[in-house]
Amino acid sequence: MKEIFLTLVVGLAVAGSGCSNIERSRDLANPNVPAAVTAAQVCSNCHGVDGNSVSPNFPRLAAQQSAYIVAQLENFRGQHRADPAGFEYMWGLSHHLTDAQIKGLADYFSRQAAQPNAPVDAKLVAAGKVIYENGLPAKEAPPCIACHGPKAEGLANFPRLANQHQDYLIKQLQVFQRTDERPNTPMTQIAHLLSTEEMKAVTGYLQSLPIDK
Amino acid sequence: MEMPRSLLRKVPLVFGVLGTAATMFPVDSQALPLFARQTGQNCVACHAGGQFPELTPYGRAFKLTGYTIGDRVKVPLSVMAYGSYTKVSDTSKSDNPAGDFAKNSSPVIGGGSVFAGGKITDNIGAFIQWTYDNYAAQDPNNGAWHGHSAMDNVDIRYADRFINPTRDFIFGVSLNNNPSVSDVWNTSAAWMQYVPGAGVPANQFNDAATPYPGNSSGSNVAGIAAYMYLNKLLYAELGTYRTANGIFSPLSMGLNNAGTTKLQGNNNPYWRLAVTHEWGPHNIMVGTSGNIAHLYDDPTITSDPNSVYKILSTGLDAQYQYILDPHTITAQLAYMRQKTNYSANTVAGNAGLGSPFGFVAADGSLLADPNSSDTTNTFRAKLSYVFQAKYGGSLAYFNLTGTTNTANQTSGYDPATGLITSDPTGALGATALSTRVNGNLSGNPATRGFTYEAFWMPVQYARIGVQYTAYSKYNGASDNYDGMGRNASDNNTLFFYVWGAY
Ligand code: HEC
Repeated sequence: MKEIFLTLVVGLAVAGSGCSNIERSRDLANPNVPAAVTAAQVCSNCHGVDGNSVSPNFPRLAAQQSAYIVAQLENFRGQHRADPAGFEYMWGLSHHLTDAQIKGLADYFSRQAAQPNAPVDAKLVAAGKVIYENGLPAKEAPPCIACHGPKAEGLANFPRLANQHQDYLIKQLQVFQRTDERPNTPMTQIAHLLSTEEMKAVTGYLQSLPIDK
Repeated sequence: MEMPRSLLRKVPLVFGVLGTAATMFPVDSQALPLFARQTGQNCVACHAGGQFPELTPYGRAFKLTGYTIGDRVKVPLSVMAYGSYTKVSDTSKSDNPAGDFAKNSSPVIGGGSVFAGGKITDNIGAFIQWTYDNYAAQDPNNGAWHGHSAMDNVDIRYADRFINPTRDFIFGVSLNNNPSVSDVWNTSAAWMQYVPGAGVPANQFNDAATPYPGNSSGSNVAGIAAYMYLNKLLYAELGTYRTANGIFSPLSMGLNNAGTTKLQGNNNPYWRLAVTHEWGPHNIMVGTSGNIAHLYDDPTITSDPNSVYKILSTGLDAQYQYILDPHTITAQLAYMRQKTNYSANTVAGNAGLGSPFGFVAADGSLLADPNSSDTTNTFRAKLSYVFQAKYGGSLAYFNLTGTTNTANQTSGYDPATGLITSDPTGALGATALSTRVNGNLSGNPATRGFTYEAFWMPVQYARIGVQYTAYSKYNGASDNYDGMGRNASDNNTLFFYVWGAY
């Protein structure tokens, strides 16, 4: 037994002298760690290894537009996106990521297949569909479909919204509406036109969208 | 073998230097506690609703993967300090209120901790807590208090993770000094009680002093445990402990020989099994754990195998969390059964003795001999809610039951006078003195009650809280538990605390 203890201590001391384990590293300041490793070892803790996060605290990244993920990671790294969840979780983690790592992470998650999300009340979904496809003409709110795509799959810098957690989407709309924490986007103006009820409906519709192959 | 030994001998020195350095360097208000500095994240990422030390699913992953997420920080240190104010419901039913309730109704700076560790390599990380208690001891002559510092929690681990979309396997080895300190759920023995308070007599009835599930050996021992977590479903851990001396002495640093827990041999196992599940903003754990400790009656005499007693602890616990900003709800249940088999020496010494303190029954007859073994059952349930990681409250229920033992009976009938008296002046010429306040007339440990708590975290590194602990049973009885009129509810305690970390 004593030998085992000793071996462990010696082992720790030797290992402590600096060997790194690039294939399974959780180091966020090492430019040599491949993006797929960081995605699996670190990002997966909240976003899921396949990008389909379980908790609505964390957005799903599966099948998200690569260009949009790059833009958001750059915003976090540059501390331009300051919504509470953004800076609480993402500023630190993205601080030392290289451009190549950011691109690699974006590609990794955009390649993952989206999974269906939890169902939402049918009436809410129906009301949300109308808003998504037609906007709110009375308030001159544009149809979401115009930018986010017919299946809410997004395009380049317009994010995918399909199957995203309703709670996450509502919180983002509130950030756009009430704060300047996600600046320089048409969403600021659009979110100002939405009531809480309308936000609930359209995000409910988005969460419940069927998977489109 | 020589090199690591001499290296280890330097550990206490290095630690001392680090500790001094931490208190000397000015800490600016932007500085973050250690792990937050390492990941650059806010406390709420790892601590549910920001309430240290309760972990979120992500916090658990951070610990299970060996504290290795993030960037290695240059000065891997952080500090925390606390102060408190206590008010015990009744301080009059006592022979010596100034002593029994010292520091009642007066604010005390309790002490604090220095933390060191964090990421060391891609696979190795540490959590090392060194704690200073401002009220560790009192001078019997002039009543002055003396501070003392010693090693608190230590968890140094190696971890690796094999993860892909179909399988997630974390495994690791932890070198630590307290069975279950390696655990990531806050219903485990090492982590359920956490609100710090100075070790002053006034705090003898606050929530920290109420029954909590414990482990057999307590802290300041040395052990290694191997663990694995498969598919975020099944957690298993197995370890064994020994005395923290020789090369392991850093794990009990600051304690003298008599204060160091002495375990017999290396066969003092600890085990843990838990099943977990996450859905939406919810997560749940149901688990079991236990450990066996073979302990010496007198820590300074470890040569006599007949002076070894054995404690077997077996527990069941469950934790549910709902975490969705701005709400955090946690429900915890913990049950621990502890069976103590007293040493052969103790059992032999007790034969034919009756009460070891010399008490007799009400009719003057001899009391039963002390038990050769005892069992206690500790049950604890807690519900807490935190809003916006700022305002929180909790309600906890505790219930300790156990076997009656004349060795627990610290109050009783004096054989000479037939009275129950503490007789502090000796005027009655009593031979057996009952203790007031702490006295136990029944010989039964049963203690039961509730703790109500409210707290506020004005900023993420500070917490102000108040706890009210109300007893319906203490030392086996609701009323007159010490035989001299003290009731369980006389011990009800109001406890304020302030706690900050940098
Ligand atoms: C003019 C184009 C445009 C229209 C119309 C539009 N959006 Fe957006 N939306 C964007 C862009 C661009 C972003 C990315 C913002 C950023 O980079 O921060 C975005 C982001 C969002 C986000 C945040 C997504 C995330 O993952 O954080 C939500 C939610 C959202 N839009 C909902 C809506 C809804 C609901 C509507 C319809 C009422 C709508 N959008 C209409 C362009 C548009």
